[in-house]
Amino acid sequence: MSTILKIFVFPAALLIMCLGVLIILGGHITPGGGFQGGAMIAGAFIFCAVVYGLKENPFKFSHDFLASMESIGALGFLILGLSGLFFSGFFLYNLGVDLNQIIPTFIQNFFNYSDPTNAGIIPYLNIVVGIKVLVGLSAVVIAFLEVK
Amino acid sequence: MVYIGPTLFGFILGFILGTRIKSDKESKIKFPISTYLVVLLVALFMAWQLGPFPYYTDSIIASGFLATIIGIIAGKVILGR
Repeated sequence: MSTILKIFVFPAALLIMCLGVLIILGGHITPGGGFQGGAMIAGAFIFCAVVYGLKENPFKFSHDFLASMESIGALGFLILGLSGLFFSGFFLYNLGVDLNQIIPTFIQNFFNYSDPTNAGIIPYLNIVVGIKVLVGLSAVVIAFLEVK
Repeated sequence: MVYIGPTLFGFILGFILGTRIKSDKESKIKFPISTYLVVLLVALFMAWQLGPFPYYTDSIIASGFLATIIGIIAGKVILGR
């Protein structure tokens, strides 16, 4: 790859990753969400992986990192779903909003995302989906680049 | 007042990504501190241009965006060696 690309891509990837995180965090009230933001972050990683190659890539996504992040994403989603089942009797019940008014206030406050939109657990679901997607798409590209 | 949600989780996600930035000593490609300073300044400008995304009224900049770049740099400095 050319020197210009090698100088430009890493700083650009950092900014694209920030935009991806912003898409994840705004997913409950704007277009976007966990999948789209995670795909943007993975896109920034892929940008670096294609330009620098896997060996010289500044972002070192190791096997352990990928496995742990994938697990955190899946378990986070499951825990949020089971919390709803445990406290309200409905899987993935939005404990932070509590539309049926069946759970105590302190549990509602605990699960409510702290911004004025009163979105409950939706941003948390976006975040864990984002983590899972960024790791999943990155793992696919790493697997392809390792095959010669 | 800045909302805690996007700022906190932006920082956490950025920190996770920042910890994975490792500089390879054998590599010819070097990104010194000046790179991160320039990125921080550009990110500040981008956050200002984005405005209080998404539809917040807490500040004049996208606080989640800025928290993420601070998290990336913090993750790189603390664990990404």
